[in-house]
Parts: sequence; C-alpha cells; structure tokens
Amino acid sequence: MNVAYFPGCSLHGLAKEYGISVEVVCKHLGINLNEIEDWNCCGATAAHSLNHELTISLSARNLAIARDMKMNKVLAPCAGCFSRLKGASYELRNNSVLAAEVGEIIQAEPPVEPEVSNLLQFIMEDQGLNAVAEKTIKPLQGLKLAAYYGCLLTRPKDVVQFDDPEQPISMDLILQAMGADTVVWAHKAECCGGGYAASDTDIVLDLSGQVLESAQQAGADAIVVACPMCGVNLDSRQEAIAAKKGKKYDLPIIYLTQLMGIAFGYSPAQLGLKRLLTSPFPLLQSKGLA
Amino acid sequence: MHNTADFYHVLRIDQTSNSLREEIKEHCHTDIEMCLECGKCSGGCSNAHIFDITPRKIIQLIKIGEEAKLLKMDALWSCVACQLCVDRCPSSINIPKIMDYMREKAYKQCVPATRPNVELFHELMLGSIKQYGRVAEALMTVQFNIKSKQYTKDAEMGIKMFFKGKLNPLPSRIKNVQQVRRMFRNIPAQREG
Ligand code: SF4
Ligand code: SF4
Repeated sequence: MNVAYFPGCSLHGLAKEYGISVEVVCKHLGINLNEIEDWNCCGATAAHSLNHELTISLSARNLAIARDMKMNKVLAPCAGCFSRLKGASYELRNNSVLAAEVGEIIQAEPPVEPEVSNLLQFIMEDQGLNAVAEKTIKPLQGLKLAAYYGCLLTRPKDVVQFDDPEQPISMDLILQAMGADTVVWAHKAECCGGGYAASDTDIVLDLSGQVLESAQQAGADAIVVACPMCGVNLDSRQEAIAAKKGKKYDLPIIYLTQLMGIAFGYSPAQLGLKRLLTSPFPLLQSKGLA
Repeated sequence: MHNTADFYHVLRIDQTSNSLREEIKEHCHTDIEMCLECGKCSGGCSNAHIFDITPRKIIQLIKIGEEAKLLKMDALWSCVACQLCVDRCPSSINIPKIMDYMREKAYKQCVPATRPNVELFHELMLGSIKQYGRVAEALMTVQFNIKSKQYTKDAEMGIKMFFKGKLNPLPSRIKNVQQVRRMFRNIPAQREG
C-alpha cells in the first residue's frame, strides 16, 4: 500500500525514535511511505495561536504536494501535525470562502482530496487488528501498559471522527492484540500541556504531573504514546515533576511503534529505544523482551 | 449605608453590544446564543484551575460585549487547545476557536500578552518557519533563552537531548523556502504598527 508520509519536525528531531520505529513497522506491514517532497512545518501551536490563515495555508501547501504526488492518503504520526493537517483539510472542504483565500495565498488549487490519518486510525482502519496479531512473533506478555492518547488523536470529534473523544480504546486494542495488558485509568485522553514545554514549563509540570500520577496509581509499568509532544513532555519532564512532588515514577514513556517493533521481532537498537530518557530496558529485560 | 445599586450592576440588554457576538458568529462559525450556561465547558477544561476567566464566563462576556476584558485575559495565553470544552458542549460552541480568534485579534492590536514568553516563543517559531520552512529547535531554544533572559533554562536537558541524538545543531532548510516566504507575505492582515 502506498501512502504519503508527513514526518513533521519532531520525528526528525526531538522524537527521532518515533520516526525510526514508524518506518520500521510500516515497512514490515508492507506499507510504502512516500515522504511529502520538500514538506514544510505544519505551524504547530504558534501558527494557530497567532494567525488562522497562515496555519491553514502551511498545511494546505503540504496537502497540495501530496495531491500532486497522486496520493489519496496522508499518514501523519505526530498528533500535532495530524491535528493541523486534518483541521485544515476539514476547513478547506467546508468553507469555500476560506478555501478560495488559501488558494490565493499558496497560489495553487486548494487541496481537498487527500484524507489525513493519524497512526492509530491508520492501523485500525487500513491494517486491522488481525494484521497486528498475525505479525506478532514476540508477544508483549506480562507488560501492564497505560495507553495514553492525549488530546489531539481523537479531538475535536467532529473533525477527527475516529474512536471516542474522551474514552478511546483503539490503542488499548492494538496493544492487546500484541499480548500486552492495558490498565483502566482516568487520564488517557487528558492534556500533557502540549506546546507549552519551553514557553511556560509550569503548565507542563502541572498537567503532565497529573498524567504520570494517574498512570502510576492505576499500576502501569509504562506509558505508551503516539504523539511526540506527549512523549517528550512525559519523558523529559519526569525528573523535574518527581523532584517537585518528592516522589519517584520511573515510568518509561514508549512510542507505540517501538513496542510494535519489539513484538514483530526487531531489536531495541533498530527501534531507537536507547534514545528514551527514562530507560525502558529494566522493564523489557524483566519480561524477556530485550 | 451602601446603596445596593453600587453592588449590583444589573446590565440592561439595551446597554450591551451585539457586534462581538456577530463577529464571532461570522469568523468562528459558532452561535453563542445557543449557550445553555450549563458550565460543562468549564467543568472539563484542562486549565480552568489557572484561568482568570473560565470558558463559560468567556461566553457570557461575549454576550454582553465586554471585548476589552476578553482581549486582555490570561486565559488566551494559557489555553492548551485540548478541545475538551467543544467536545463536551451540548451546543457545540467552539471555544478553542474563539480563543484563537480573540488571541489573534489581541495580538494584531498589540494588546500586551499576560505571558510574554508564550507570545515570544510563538513569534520565534513563526520566524524559524519563515526562514527555513521548518522548526530549527536548537537555534530557537537559544534565541528564546536569550530574549526571555532565562540564560540557563533547560541547558542540562538540552545537552542530554543532544547526546541522545535528538537535537540537531544545524537547522535544515527546505528547497522551496521562497514559496513559504511568499505565503507569509500573501497573508492579508498582519500585526498593526
Ligand atoms: S458547555 Fe456550551 S452550552 Fe454549556 S456553558 Fe459551556 S458553552 Fe455554554
Ligand atoms: S481548549 Fe482551552 S478552553 Fe477548551 S478545555 Fe482546553 S484549555 Fe480549556
């Protein structure tokens, strides 16, 4: 299967291991990732915070390139990029005045065709749980995981139209298909503080702190993520949060595709597991998975 | 003795203005007249515990046309855009969109942001996109620390990230950056002054 691939800045930078493992897993599933040629940043929090037309236009340029590459589906594994691309696509389809304006700004026909999917949606709708289960040669037995969706993989519901906006289950099902256990917990779709990581770190310490606390209380061994902002915030701020609360968490924050890679038989080195700040190795070794 | 009228400023409907309400309807495609005042938005909001004005109140202030207050509020700079409010609202009132609209308006009118570092970070990120077409994380972090005068902020973490191979020291520039810059120029209304 051929899809257009939008890695976004994070998968080339702060969440490289997410990008690496997405590529490994997709190849294994027989998916051809065609990187959108010369893609630009989706504008992230900055553009939608200060300039609506700009945020739609930045995504529109990327979607137009995907269309010109004759792709009818775009895979955006970063939840932030997904949200911008999907939101832009939704507005271009539903607001003809804005679509015309954006066409002027990007000097191209406004792209309405390509469908945009996040990773969970892509696995559920285009691959299916059976494919995941069939490829699993090293079941994730004994792992108790907190599937963490954050805000943007399922919200806003009218735009995303996938899974339940506040009680999603797709990632739990994918993890279970690989033999893992998932915990029932309260914060699976709460916010980690997102784009405030650098600009107002206290917001992230507060909100990510609540997520860590909730996962620990539910008895999870690790938190699984499908978003680089969630991943980076929960991992890189964990020490500071623990110090502030005078506690210890030691909760590895692992990208879903890294665990899929392990289940499919790849080595930790091929999946960039060493790049995680909170080491997942003691946990994985104790279950015979690394 | 106090005059009760000093305590209770009852607003008469003919003293309020409709224009903001109409503007929101036009630009955010959301009709705040449909608000039931149920408070589900504030109840679900990720950051209501630090907001100066909570989502339900924001809708009320729009109703009575209190624009100046809304343009100055801290909630504009601490909303995490988590979309919980809009998904819980029985009338689908798009509060995150209203937040974006009001913040953009405040920014264009140069109303000082209550969290200048948040505004600065957004500006630096847009600057990076304009220059390179992508975000140059390392460069931006250094610029942010210098401009916000927090010289050692996250330095230790930055070094850790660098050794984990997560921080690219050199920004990568896209080939057709001219096209992206042209887009920035083609955007109609920009910041005044
Ligand atoms: S949830 Fe919707 S209807 Fe209820 S108070 Fe908030 S905006 Fe109004
Ligand atoms: S989008 Fe903003 S206002 Fe709405 S619930 Fe989230 S933080 Fe609160």
